Amino acid sequence: MKEVVCKKEELSPGNIMSAHVGPIPIVLCRTPDGEFYAFTNKCVHQGAPMSEGVLCGAPAPTDTPGEYHYEKEGEVLRCPWHGIEFDIKNEGRMIVDSNRKLGNFNVSFEGDDVVVSTKK
Amino acid sequence: MAEQKQTKQKRPIIDMDIHERVTYDELLPYLDNPWQRYIKDTNWVQEKHLPYPILGAAGLDRADAQVPDGRPAGNDLSFLQQQLLDDVGHEAGILTGAGDPSPSSMNGWYEMAVALATAYNDWQIENWLEKDDRLYGSVHVAAQDPASAVREIERVGSHPKMVQVLLPIDDRPWGDPYYHPIFEAAERHNLIIGMHHQEPPNYYGKFPRYFVEWHSVMPNTHMIQVSSMIFNGVFEKYPNLKLAMIEAGFTYIPAFMKKMDQQYKVLRHEVPWVKRMPSDIVKDHVRVTTQPVDELTRDEFLKFIDLMGSDEIVCFSTDYPHWDYDSPFRALPPLGEDLEKKIFAENARKLYPKLPERKVTQ
Ligand code: FES
Repeated sequence: MKEVVCKKEELSPGNIMSAHVGPIPIVLCRTPDGEFYAFTNKCVHQGAPMSEGVLCGAPAPTDTPGEYHYEKEGEVLRCPWHGIEFDIKNEGRMIVDSNRKLGNFNVSFEGDDVVVSTKK
Repeated sequence: MAEQKQTKQKRPIIDMDIHERVTYDELLPYLDNPWQRYIKDTNWVQEKHLPYPILGAAGLDRADAQVPDGRPAGNDLSFLQQQLLDDVGHEAGILTGAGDPSPSSMNGWYEMAVALATAYNDWQIENWLEKDDRLYGSVHVAAQDPASAVREIERVGSHPKMVQVLLPIDDRPWGDPYYHPIFEAAERHNLIIGMHHQEPPNYYGKFPRYFVEWHSVMPNTHMIQVSSMIFNGVFEKYPNLKLAMIEAGFTYIPAFMKKMDQQYKVLRHEVPWVKRMPSDIVKDHVRVTTQPVDELTRDEFLKFIDLMGSDEIVCFSTDYPHWDYDSPFRALPPLGEDLEKKIFAENARKLYPKLPERKVTQ
């Protein structure tokens, strides 16, 4: 399945939007560096609509209690319900458990059109 | 979300924890003077104590639960109907909102706490209970002044949609005989006691350093209350009284039953008014909500139920619209028709004497 979901300029860097590929609801994310990523719009935990969440960063794991390094600005999709963090540049994997991830789609471009397709 | 809704199987649900939200502006018409003037003239709101953000996407609430016109989540009946009650198929929902902190958690100025509880109850009845036949309410009281609490129970407790007296979990163990008049009044009015945590969350009102600590140890504070009620003899004294422990999940219960039974065997002489095993008192009088549920496999879930020795203790709740909301479709593993019926509706129906019979159509 393959569908033009929007024009590039309809989603500015650092933002997310909901869309559909055929009947499948997706969340389209654009990182601050301009890249597009698309995932199923349903959290793997309890099914919340991910497009209602926020695109943010996250504190990196550190070795010292009390130490914080905020990283991945605009590359972490946080669920609107329980706030689980998904790393969108790492296939939408959960930061706490990289074995679990959001459903993935391919994103390509035809001129200005953003085309999302299911992975084969 | 439309597609998702259609594929979901609706099931009859009695949801034991739905938070409606009031603003002080909305309470003003329900307050006499000088209370109204104290709030209006000084722009007074009670202080919120939480020293850290809640790291969901939108703080305390589900990010998608804000009322579309910008009002805070839980503030609008029609949006709540649309997002929760109609979607899921709620047969009944118990409202557990409160001022923030609740009147019973106010330090001092009990007179204002009493006024706020009274205003809240009137606001709740008029704007929620009498506007949707699925919604049932909690009587809010200023429990630190038990005589006033009893008066408030007398005043609104016989409303057909009021089903429980809500006590916050913070720094008072409620089993203390000082509070027994409240239980006597609740029992007399066919109300149960609901307990739900409020800030400050821990015993003695201290906060742990991190929110994740608090959220992990919430069951501790619930255990303090359950043991206080049991060992102070509340259920011996009020044999028809029931207690609902809301929002600490249920997985702590089996271990706690074993622990209390063991302590009772060796220390009974200290509390000779307790005449049954604590685990039996729990089975007869205490109910707990699923939320916030841990991710469990079907096998794990059933083991916990098995260890409790009763499948009537656990009742479903969503905690809508808060960030740790549990989905009626996704929070629990498949448990089989019988147990699902009990957990999602029938255990709660048995618990609250004022809830209606099961509708025949369902
Ligand atoms: S539904 Fe997404 S974190 Fe729970």
